Amino acid sequence: MHNTYKTNVEIDWCPGCGDFGILNALTLALQELKIPNENVVLTGGIGCSSKIPHYVNVNALHTLHGRSLAQGEAVKIANPHLEVISASGDGDALGIGMAHLVAAGRRNIDMTYLIFDNGVYGLTKGQASPTLPYGENIKSIETENIKFPVNPLFVALASGYTFVARSYAYNIKHLKDTIVRAIKHKGMAMIDIMQPCVTYNNINTKEFYDARLYDIEASGWNPVAKSEEEYETKVSQAVLKSMEWGDKIPMGVFIQYERETYAQRLSKLIKGYEERNMVMEPIHKDGKPINDISEIMQSFI
Amino acid sequence: MKKDLNLMVAGPQGSGINFTSDTFAKVMSRQGFYVFTNAELFSTIKGEHSYFRVRVSDSEIASYSKRVDILIPLDSKSIILHKDEVSDNGVILSEDKIDDNRYEALQYREILQKVAAKFNKNLSELNVMKNTVALAAAVKMAGIASEELKKVISENFATRKNIAEMNNAVVDEVYASFNSKKSFNLPKVTKSKRMLINSAEAVGMGKVISGLKFQSYYPITPASDESNYLESIMDKYGFVVEQTEDEIAAINMAIAAANTGLRSATSTSGPGFDLMVEALSYAGMTETPVVIFYYQRAGPSTGMPTRHEQGDIKFALTAGHGEFPRVVIAPGDHTESFYDTVESFNIAEHYQLPVIVLLDKSMAMSNTTTEIFDTSKVRIDRGKLILQETSNYLRYKLTDDGISPRSVPGIKGGIITVAGDEHEEDGHIFSEDPDNRITMMNKRMNKMNLVLKEIPEELKVKFYGKSSNKTVIVSWGSPKGAILDALDYYPEISFLQVRMMEPFPSEEVSKYLKGKYVIDIEQNYSGQLADIIKEKTGIEVNSRILKFNGRPMAYEELVDAIKDAQKNKKVVLTYA
Repeated sequence: MHNTYKTNVEIDWCPGCGDFGILNALTLALQELKIPNENVVLTGGIGCSSKIPHYVNVNALHTLHGRSLAQGEAVKIANPHLEVISASGDGDALGIGMAHLVAAGRRNIDMTYLIFDNGVYGLTKGQASPTLPYGENIKSIETENIKFPVNPLFVALASGYTFVARSYAYNIKHLKDTIVRAIKHKGMAMIDIMQPCVTYNNINTKEFYDARLYDIEASGWNPVAKSEEEYETKVSQAVLKSMEWGDKIPMGVFIQYERETYAQRLSKLIKGYEERNMVMEPIHKDGKPINDISEIMQSFI
Repeated sequence: MKKDLNLMVAGPQGSGINFTSDTFAKVMSRQGFYVFTNAELFSTIKGEHSYFRVRVSDSEIASYSKRVDILIPLDSKSIILHKDEVSDNGVILSEDKIDDNRYEALQYREILQKVAAKFNKNLSELNVMKNTVALAAAVKMAGIASEELKKVISENFATRKNIAEMNNAVVDEVYASFNSKKSFNLPKVTKSKRMLINSAEAVGMGKVISGLKFQSYYPITPASDESNYLESIMDKYGFVVEQTEDEIAAINMAIAAANTGLRSATSTSGPGFDLMVEALSYAGMTETPVVIFYYQRAGPSTGMPTRHEQGDIKFALTAGHGEFPRVVIAPGDHTESFYDTVESFNIAEHYQLPVIVLLDKSMAMSNTTTEIFDTSKVRIDRGKLILQETSNYLRYKLTDDGISPRSVPGIKGGIITVAGDEHEEDGHIFSEDPDNRITMMNKRMNKMNLVLKEIPEELKVKFYGKSSNKTVIVSWGSPKGAILDALDYYPEISFLQVRMMEPFPSEEVSKYLKGKYVIDIEQNYSGQLADIIKEKTGIEVNSRILKFNGRPMAYEELVDAIKDAQKNKKVVLTYA
């Protein structure tokens, strides 16, 4: 079947880049969900992976370094009827954009955040990124990495993400299915995607991940929580699982819990917010404003 | 000259002194007087010394006066700090006797004790009503009936009837027992229906009538008052106010909401705007109609967060890397703040570019009597926004005027691609073709020419006084008030207020300044507008009157300075 979610823009990723797998999985997921193209918004930050909005035939916001998620959140707040997906590299998400990653968990907006996690800043020739493990000396850096890595899953769990998953760029079936679940999830979903950089990261390669990744759900983990109490228990277990890194690296969904979304909370402050479509509401009639401020002007007399 | 009465309430921050001054201002405004207030606060919650001025007049006023007629000090420090400002005929109201012929006793304790007894309360429970004692004494000295004050108090405490009742009992007790030797009756005026507002509220109302749907902000003095006001009415008008994790998120969210199709804005002050600058450049590149309300305060760095300055004009004009179109508007009073807010959204959407509205602490915190806005004058222009099905859509399509039809997400056939990288008509970024670069730079930058050509003169500059006058004052923003008040003394001098700062209205400014003796008046160290005028028109101002001690201008110091400026190249104001 023809993939109507791909553009015919020439792709400038390196041959063999893990990003291709993510692009395929994402467009297949959209194909499966049959969301009209014009109702999807895909945002990217800056970096190799953040160019993905140009390759997907949906509304594309190619933003600034680190701001993919902040802009994606605002699109969803502005129009809750859109399907919003934000994409970032690990530098974008966990370095320059970390403040947004944490704050997004607090809001629990119903959207999806994809982190293309390859341990390097590819576009600037392979500097260590926030997820590069301690002590690793990949070929693109001068000396071994003397910083500890940040754990995206742990951060997301601590920040209140209600869907937290890890998947793999070269396991398109798993990644596509996980993206579908993340999009269907009502709340803030994050997928940390292991994505080998074939040019600069000669340690965290396809062979590296193929030998280590295992599916926690296939090994008996049920990420679904149905109450606040169950969520609290499961989150603490998920945190322990998220810390596994070594001969075995866990993938799959770590937590999935439907808790009040930001739109539902906003609806308590602003009548009918979630049902309305602010974009389509007229603000003037033949140039004359629709809002009447006489009452508030009176309140200042 | 104008008859006026000047009240100063001074004391430790957090002791409720703003209640006294605000309520006094409201009562006097309701009577039909013109009111102008000035708030001087510390960047602290409680304890430090603060003071509020309320100037009341039977004629229109737009600045505060150096002269204090009634000083209400709520601690002894306030007497020491402010007694020199009290006029010879003025009054210092204090419980503790001081050796000063302006002293009059105000028996807080005695008055509150009587009221406490009436309500079966301890005196300590009524201590918070010390402010009401002071307030009632001031209103009585201004010759206003107690009923007028009690009505305002009852409205203030509408949801807490018993508190209102006790406060009003305090008013009655003050009116019964406090008799000043002096009275400060102003000429009779007829009651009016003017608003008593600051610019944060004027901007808020401007945003509502403009159809704002998304406002983002990160808390910062003095900008967040506006966002907090909007929060208080967001349910009534159905828009979203989003408090973000930082100013970077604030501007990026405002941009994304604008690109989603909402009228969208963010409000901040200098340190916050610093963080927004990268995204401002992005808004220029992506042709995003976003409006930034920039409330200046005294910098650099954290500077003096609660104090006034106009030090950021050059920054606002040039902030952001690369060259991109922007419009910067600087209202000079609350009425202009309202109408300029409306215009800022129209300009942003019509020309698809970022607009900065420059305000400042003085405007944000000064309550001034303001005529009800004539909303029949308000027009909304959304430019080339597309909200129905379209086809063959290109977000950056080349057109005769350089402005492309603007679709938003959710429009069938109108999928958008927005990019901060140099892009082609379709929004994609992969050619980096040098000819395309030239085309796109021309497309964007030509908007500045369009703005200059199409925006009417009254939005660019305002001229006050006779055009034949040989001396012209030039200024921008909030000094307008003190300048207009000072010009009552100089009918031979005119005033040019520059309102649009970018693109700079060189033609209009030259027209009014050429061949004149020009005095530049600004609240900054160097006279930034004077430098801009030199750069853009070649006209060198003859003298600069500058103030950068963090306090706005009193009209009297300008009256003196304008005389000096006719001989000296530079006059620095120091009054606080």
